[in-house]
Amino acid sequence: MGARIRERRLPARDLEAILGVTSALAAPFDLMTMLAEVVRAAKQVLRADRGSVWLHDPKTHELVLEVATGIQPVRVPFGAGLVGACARTREIINVSDCYADPRFDAGVDRASGYRTRCMLTLPLVDHHDVLVGVMQLLNKDGGVFDEGDEALATALAAQCAVALQRVRMTEALIEGERMRQALEMARDVQMSTLPRAMPVVRGYDVCGTFRPAELTGGDTFDAFVNRERLVVVLADATGHGIAPALSVTQMHAMIRIGLNLEPDLGTTFAQVNNRLAETLPEDRFITAFIGMLDPATHVLHFQSAGQGPILKYDASRGACDRYRPTSFPLGAMPLAVPPAAVTLSMQPGDILVLVSDGIFDHRNPAGESFGEARVEDIVRERCAGSVADLMQALLDAVAQFGAGAPQEDDMTMLLVKRDAVKRREQTFSRSVDALPAMVAFTDELFAEQWADSRLRPTIDFALEELFTNMVKYSPMGTADVRIDVMAVEGGLEVTMTDHGVAPFDVTRAPDVDVDAPIERRRPGGLGLHLTRRLVDSLDYAYDEARGESRITFRVTTRALSRDTQRQGREC
Amino acid sequence: MLTIDYGQDGAVVASGRLDAAQAPVAQAFLDRVQGTVTLDLASLDYISSAGLGVLLKTQKRLMASGGRLRLSGLRPHLRDIFVYSGFDKLFEIEPAR
Repeated sequence: MGARIRERRLPARDLEAILGVTSALAAPFDLMTMLAEVVRAAKQVLRADRGSVWLHDPKTHELVLEVATGIQPVRVPFGAGLVGACARTREIINVSDCYADPRFDAGVDRASGYRTRCMLTLPLVDHHDVLVGVMQLLNKDGGVFDEGDEALATALAAQCAVALQRVRMTEALIEGERMRQALEMARDVQMSTLPRAMPVVRGYDVCGTFRPAELTGGDTFDAFVNRERLVVVLADATGHGIAPALSVTQMHAMIRIGLNLEPDLGTTFAQVNNRLAETLPEDRFITAFIGMLDPATHVLHFQSAGQGPILKYDASRGACDRYRPTSFPLGAMPLAVPPAAVTLSMQPGDILVLVSDGIFDHRNPAGESFGEARVEDIVRERCAGSVADLMQALLDAVAQFGAGAPQEDDMTMLLVKRDAVKRREQTFSRSVDALPAMVAFTDELFAEQWADSRLRPTIDFALEELFTNMVKYSPMGTADVRIDVMAVEGGLEVTMTDHGVAPFDVTRAPDVDVDAPIERRRPGGLGLHLTRRLVDSLDYAYDEARGESRITFRVTTRALSRDTQRQGREC
Repeated sequence: MLTIDYGQDGAVVASGRLDAAQAPVAQAFLDRVQGTVTLDLASLDYISSAGLGVLLKTQKRLMASGGRLRLSGLRPHLRDIFVYSGFDKLFEIEPAR
């Protein structure tokens, strides 16, 4: 029995031999050299004529004899023959006359012409009690293996097992490193397709990010301008490893080429889908969002192949809308006709929020997912700033939520925000002396190109006339006049608020008879008369409780073309 | 700001902004002119109703004594103001000189 044998003390001579073997076994790093070294050491210590080592393959539960490099190894099932029996029982089997033992397979002798007399079969078990393999020693020099040999072989076997296990683990590491390098290469290919810089689109703020997981995931995103439209793509190929990284890279290129050749979203979407359905393996697919935004009309059409939820922050309501996919994932099956696209209107301050499931599904140590509601909360909180800031806030929140949990999937985000309404206000003291400050105020707006510079004289004119009107005709007012300017399509909308005054409806002031002879002409009333003619619209509201007059006027480039037409008729 | 003074050819040259804040400056100058006067407005960027009032008052005064105020070099965006206010009928408006 193994336990009994281990209790026996080894003679000093044998101990020396084993220590010598230990240092010899420290050197090899590849399996074949190590196996040869183990057999050589065992033969030497036990004075055996031949030896062999069978390695345990835990996957197939077989014992494998590596004969030589390049030749198919011999495999024996667990439990079969002397080797299999030894592996199963993990005990030494000492057979002094092989041909008398029914477990002995004489086939090997017949094939090789060798004659096996006696045989010692012993298990190789490492420090962690893992069966590494089985060692066989044949034909002891001048006799049979005795109990002393068994003890010696057991001590030797432990050394061999550890040495072999070390080599096997090293090889596994090397294999892992090779795999890691391959993954890294796939990752490089995947990363190389990401846009290096965000496209510049007038009136929009665009920002994207890709945070790869440790193992390759299949995310990608893209943002580019095609025929004056902004194209945005966010996709996720199923699985982890090299294949998804390469398939999204392929899809990425297909979309770019597709839209270059055929600018129709639906056609390109269906073609990319059908091409992927042909080329992707049966069990693979890609979820993808493809959107096209016309920055002139602010209309966004999108197709979403199983990518969702798609979030859109609606600035006017301060809430996010969720949109469902328009189709199944790309490559799942062919599409006969393109699905109906979703059409959205991007209003000032609206944000399209494309987020991969690596963010929605990121888990904290308690197993909770980050989820859609948290994304929406952060979008609402941070909607006023730039999308780069919003993106950082989302990433920070995900990291904080995860509390150090490993990132299991790629995290990808693409945010598109229509510039919020430009608005600026300033108060002016109730005096014509405030006019230079007012001019400086409009100077700034036009320097910052809030509106077409041709609108400047009309804006200044209306501001001055309405302001001096407030100063002159509301002498009881003491509060400053507030002027609030907002950029609107094609021009500016100005609201002037005057507190603690009596109502004076500037829209109803009597018209001036501009055809009267000079003796009957008076300067009064001319300012309001002209203002009404020059601006696009003029509105007046009075708040009785607060004694507040509010005048709103709008000046846009429409006024320019209108004046040109009118002048044309008059000439 | 507004500058107003006699030019080299005897015309009065006004440049800059003739708004409510600058109207008193223009009025003070024009109160001193006599006879028929040409007002060169080629460098005038802006005029409001307060400015128009200054011109109207001056025109009435000069016409009472047989003179008048002629305007020249009016920029297109200021011409609109004159047309809409009917002032193009009160003043002789010459093209830029």
